[in-house]
Amino acid sequence: MALTRRRYWAMAVGSVILRLLFICFSEDLNLGFRPEVATPVTSLRRLAEGYWLKNSSMSPYSGSMYHGSPLLLPVLGPLTVNRVKGLPAHLFCSLIFVIVDFVTAMLIRATGQKLMSTYHRSLQLLNLSCVQETAGYTHVGDLASLIFLWNPFTIITCAGSSTSPIDNLMIVLSIYGACSGLSSLAAFGWVVSTHLSLYPAILVIPVILLLGYGPDAPPSKLFLLKKSNESGGSCPKDKTCSEQKSKEETHIRNFCWRPVLFFIMWSLIWSSYILFLSFISLKEFGGLSEMVKKTHGFILNVEDLSPNIGVFWYFFAEVFEFFRSFFLIVFHINILFMLVPLVIRLRHRPCFLAFVYIAIMSMLKSYPSVGDSALYLGLLGLFANELAEMRFSFFLLCGYVGISLLSPVMHNLWIWRGTGNANFYFATGIAYASLQTVLIVESVSTILKHDRMLRNKLAT
Amino acid sequence: MPAEKDEAKEPRARPRLIVLIASFLVSHSTLFSVVCCIAGLIALLLLPVLAKSTYISENALMPGSANPVFSGQDVSEASRLVKDITETQKMGKMTGIEIQRLIIQRMADVGAEVYHHKFHSQSNQFHPFRFFSCDSNSAVTESNSNTSYGLNTVGIIRAPRGDGKEAIVLVTPYNSEYVKLNDALSLGLGFSIFSHLGRVSWLAKDILWLAADSRYGEYSSVSAWLKDYHNPVFFSSENVDANVTHDKDFLNMQNKNMLNGRNVDVFKRAGTMAAALVFKVGEVMERDPRDILTIYAEASNGQMPNLDLINVVHYLAVHRQGFRVNIGKLASLVNSAWLNLVGQILEWLGKLAKNLNPKWNFGISSADYAEGAATVASSMYHQALGVPTGSHGAFRDYQVDAITFSFSPRFYLNNENMQSSFILRGGRLIEGVIRSVNNLLEKFHQSFFLYMMTAPNKFVSVGVYMIGFALLALPLPVVAASLFLNHKATGFTGTEEAKIAFGSWKWLYAAKTVLMIDLWAMFASLMPYFISQIPNITSTESTFLWVALSVTILAVLYVILGSPPYSHSGNVEWQTLKAVMIASVTIGLGLMSIINFATAQIGALLIVPMCLVVRPLKKHIQGALILRALSLVCNLVMVVIGFPPAALLLMKGFSKGFEGVGIGAVWEVAEFLWAWNSATYLYVFLVHLPCWVLCIHILLHP
Repeated sequence: MALTRRRYWAMAVGSVILRLLFICFSEDLNLGFRPEVATPVTSLRRLAEGYWLKNSSMSPYSGSMYHGSPLLLPVLGPLTVNRVKGLPAHLFCSLIFVIVDFVTAMLIRATGQKLMSTYHRSLQLLNLSCVQETAGYTHVGDLASLIFLWNPFTIITCAGSSTSPIDNLMIVLSIYGACSGLSSLAAFGWVVSTHLSLYPAILVIPVILLLGYGPDAPPSKLFLLKKSNESGGSCPKDKTCSEQKSKEETHIRNFCWRPVLFFIMWSLIWSSYILFLSFISLKEFGGLSEMVKKTHGFILNVEDLSPNIGVFWYFFAEVFEFFRSFFLIVFHINILFMLVPLVIRLRHRPCFLAFVYIAIMSMLKSYPSVGDSALYLGLLGLFANELAEMRFSFFLLCGYVGISLLSPVMHNLWIWRGTGNANFYFATGIAYASLQTVLIVESVSTILKHDRMLRNKLAT
Repeated sequence: MPAEKDEAKEPRARPRLIVLIASFLVSHSTLFSVVCCIAGLIALLLLPVLAKSTYISENALMPGSANPVFSGQDVSEASRLVKDITETQKMGKMTGIEIQRLIIQRMADVGAEVYHHKFHSQSNQFHPFRFFSCDSNSAVTESNSNTSYGLNTVGIIRAPRGDGKEAIVLVTPYNSEYVKLNDALSLGLGFSIFSHLGRVSWLAKDILWLAADSRYGEYSSVSAWLKDYHNPVFFSSENVDANVTHDKDFLNMQNKNMLNGRNVDVFKRAGTMAAALVFKVGEVMERDPRDILTIYAEASNGQMPNLDLINVVHYLAVHRQGFRVNIGKLASLVNSAWLNLVGQILEWLGKLAKNLNPKWNFGISSADYAEGAATVASSMYHQALGVPTGSHGAFRDYQVDAITFSFSPRFYLNNENMQSSFILRGGRLIEGVIRSVNNLLEKFHQSFFLYMMTAPNKFVSVGVYMIGFALLALPLPVVAASLFLNHKATGFTGTEEAKIAFGSWKWLYAAKTVLMIDLWAMFASLMPYFISQIPNITSTESTFLWVALSVTILAVLYVILGSPPYSHSGNVEWQTLKAVMIASVTIGLGLMSIINFATAQIGALLIVPMCLVVRPLKKHIQGALILRALSLVCNLVMVVIGFPPAALLLMKGFSKGFEGVGIGAVWEVAEFLWAWNSATYLYVFLVHLPCWVLCIHILLHP
C-alpha cells in the first residue's frame, strides 16, 4: 500500500493542476451560485458585496448580505476587486484557495505521520506490533492528504468561490497543533475557526484531550491489563523490571496539565486579539455586538431559509413563528447532546473524536455545504488502519456519489423546470443526512470493535 | 478467534424482518431478477390498458362556459389580410420585409402596441457546459459575423381588466421568404383573433401576438424572441453602431420604421406568460370526414406542458367546434402483427375477467390497444429524443406551458366559403382557449406535468408508468448486493490473514476501473466539440475520427492509470467488477429517470438485461450444455445490441431498410442530439457507453 515518494508528489501536484483547470472554467460551471457549494456564510460573492459596502463607508453587514468575519474583508476583499480581463472574476481568491487547500493537505499529512508514530509506539509497548504487520501497513498521512486533495467535494469547493477552505484550514491547524503539542498553534486554529464559523467551538474537547493525553492510543485499560498480566504471570520476581515498566506506562497515559493550561492561556490571548482587531475594523459600524449579531447570531437564528443541503431550512420555513425559538434550541442542542457520551467512549482517541465531532457538526449545521464534508472525508483517511474492516463502505460510496449527482438534478427540477417542488430537493438533503449518520455510526462501531480486537489479542 | 465468535453470536440472536427479507432476496437473486424483468416488460405493455381518461383539474378554467363571440366580421378581417398578403406576394416587390410591414400596419390599426424584433439566425453550437444551466449571460456574448437575420412582428393588447402583470402569447409561424396559402391563412387567423381580442372587454391578461418569421426554422425565431423577452440587454452605444453599419439594409429600414410617429424597434414587454399557443394551418388531409387538429406537446428533454392545457384544447375542439383531435403516433406500429396479438390476448383476458365478475371492467379492444400502444410509443420516442416537436419547446425552457396545434382542413381552401367557415371555427376554438386561460388565477399547477398520452383523451401518469421502470431496475441493486456478498464470503474463507484485513475495501480496485472507464467516456463525449471545429469533413469521416480518437484515449488511460485489470490476475475479481458496474449503472439510470423518464425506460430495456446476463466467456456456468450455450448466445447478442451505435444502426435499418444506412448516421444523430442540448446524449455517453465497455471487460476476463 505504501506509495513511493515520487508518486505521492505527482498525485498531489496533479490535483493542484486539476483545480487550476476547474478555476479556468469556473465561469461556465457557475459553481459559486450552487447552494451545495456556497452558503450565505461562506459565499465569496457576498464577501465582495460586504467589502464594497465597507469601502463606501457603510457597515459591511447592512442589507443582510455578508455574514462572515470582518477580518476576512481586508484579507480577501481587495482580491475580489482585482480582475484580469478574459479570466474568471474571482481568479486571485481562487488561487489563494488552491494554496490553502494544499497547505491543509500537508497539515493533514503531518498529523497522520504523528498519529502513526505514536500509535506504532504504543502497540510496541503492548507487544502487539504483529497486528499492524499482518494488517498491512498504510501511510495514513499520505492517504488522508491524497483523499483530501482528490475529493471532488474539495475541488468543487475550491473552484466554487466559497470561503470554507479557510475554515477547514483553521480546523486542521488546531488539530495539527494539538497533535504535535504546540499549544499556541492549537489555540490559534481553534479561536480563528470558532470566530469564522462558530461550530468548531466544540472541538475544544478533543483538542484539550490531545494536549493532555497525546495522540490516539489503544484504551488505557489495555495498558493496565498488560501490567497486571506481566506482574501476575511472567516475571513476578523481577520487581524492579515491572516497576520500571509500570512507571513508563502510567507516564504515557497520564493527563498532563501544563500544555492544557498553556492552551487556555493562549486561547485567551488570541481571542482577545481577534476581538480587538474586529473592534477596530467595525468601530464606526456598531462594534462587536453588531458583529456577533450578524455572524454567530445569524448562524444560530437560521435567518436565511434559502434551500441548502442541510435539514434546517425546510423545517424552519414551515414552523410557526410561535414555536420558532423552541425548535431553534432543540435543533442546536442536538449537537451538544452527543458530545458527552462520545467523549466518555472515545477519550483515548481524541483525534478520532475530533473527526466524529466534525462529521456531526457538518451534518447538523444550519448552513452546511459540501466543503464541510470534504474535511471529514479527508480526516477519515487518517484512521484507515483501524477502519479497515468497516462495513457498508461500498454502500456509502455509492450513496455519496448518488446523492451528490441527484441533488443538483432535483434542484433543477424544482427551481428551473417547475415540475418538482421543495420536497424533491429536501428528500436528497434527508438522504444525505442519513448517509452521514451511517458513516458516523459505522466508523465509531468499527473503532470500538478494533479496540475489542486488541483486548482479545492481549488476553490470549 | 474469540472476537469473531462474539460477533457471530450477537446478531444471530434475532434478525429483524427486513434483514430476513433482504437476505432472502439476495440469496434468490437470479429468480428474483428474471421475475422482475418479465414483470417490468408486462407492466410496460399494459400501459395502454392502464390509461385513465383525462379530466380538467383546475376549476378556474371553466372551458366552454361562455359562448364564443368570434363572428363573421372577424373572419372577413382575416380574409382581407390573406388577400393582401397574396397580392403583395404576386406583385413581386419583395424586399424581405413587406409582409412584416403589412402585419404591423394592421396591428397598429387595431390599436395595439407594435414592434419589430430583429434576430440573428444562429446555428446550434455544441456547448459542453450548457446542458442544464438556464444561461442568462449568453445573450451578451453573441458577436455574430453572421448578417442573416429574421424579423418577427409582435403586437401587444393591454388588458382592460388586468394589471399588466400576466400575458397570454399567441404565435403564428410563417415563412416570410415565400408565403404559401396555408401560412397566409394562419396569419389571417392570428390577426382576426388579435383584432377580435382588441375589442373584447373581459381580458384580464395582456395578449401578445408573435408573427414569427420562420425562415430559419420555427424554433429559432421563437426562442430568440423569448430570450430577448426574458433577458433585457443593455446595449452600449458603440455596440448598436457596429450592428447598424454592418448591414445597410437594416439602416434603411430604421429610417422607415416610424409608424404614426412611434418607433417600432423598441422592444416592449407584457407580464409573465401564463400560457402560449402556437397555431398554424397545415396541409390538407383529404379522405377524412372532419377537419383535424393535431396537437404537439413534447418540449426539450421530455418535458410536457401541464395536462390541463391539452385538455382544454381537446375539450373545446371536440365538443364545441367539431374537430377531430390527433396526436402523433408511430404509424408502423398500428398494424404490426405482434402488437395486435398482444391486444387480442388482452381483449380475451378482459372478457374472461368480465365473465368471472361483471364489475371487473378493464377490457380493451385489440384495435384500441394497438392504437394506444402506437401513441404511447410515439410519445415516448419524442420524449426520449429530448428534442422539442415544435416551437412550443422554447417556451417550456422558461417554465411557460405551451402547445402547438395545427389545423388540417379536409378540403382545399381556395373556395371563399370553405375558408371562412374554417377560420370561424378555428377562431372560436382559440378564443375559447384564451378565455379559459384568462380565467386562471395562478400558473398552471393543478394537473400533471409528468405523463404520456395514449390517446387525445387518455393519459398515463407518472405513478403508473414508473412501475414498469421500477420493476426493471429493481434487480440491479439486488444482484449487485448478492455478487458483492458472495464474493466477500469466498474471499474470507480460503485466504490468509493479510487479505482479511482489507477485505471490506476490496472493491476499491474495481471502483478504480469503473472510474477510469467513466473518465474515458467523459472525454469521448467531449470529443465531438473538437471534431466539429474541423472544416470540410463528412459525417463518415467524423465518425471514424471520433472512434479512432476515443480508442486512443482509452489506450492512453490504460497506460497511465494501470493496465486492464485482468492482466495481473487476481487483482480484480470479475464479480466485484460486475457489482461495482451494476451499482454505477443503477445510479445512472435512477438519475436519468428523473431528468428524462422516457430515455431511462428505453435505456433500461437495453442495459438491464446486458448487465444481468454478462459473465466471462472463459468461466462456464455449471449445468447442462444447453444452459451454457444459452448464456453464451445471450451474452453475445446483448453485447451487440447494447453498443449504442450498433443499436442505432439496427433501428434505422429495420425502420427504413438497410441500403441507406451508413456509419455517418451515428455522427449525424449525435450532432442532432447535442445541437438540441438533449440529455439523452449525456445518458448515452456517460451511462450506457461505459457500461458497455465494462461488459466487454467482464466478457474478456480470463
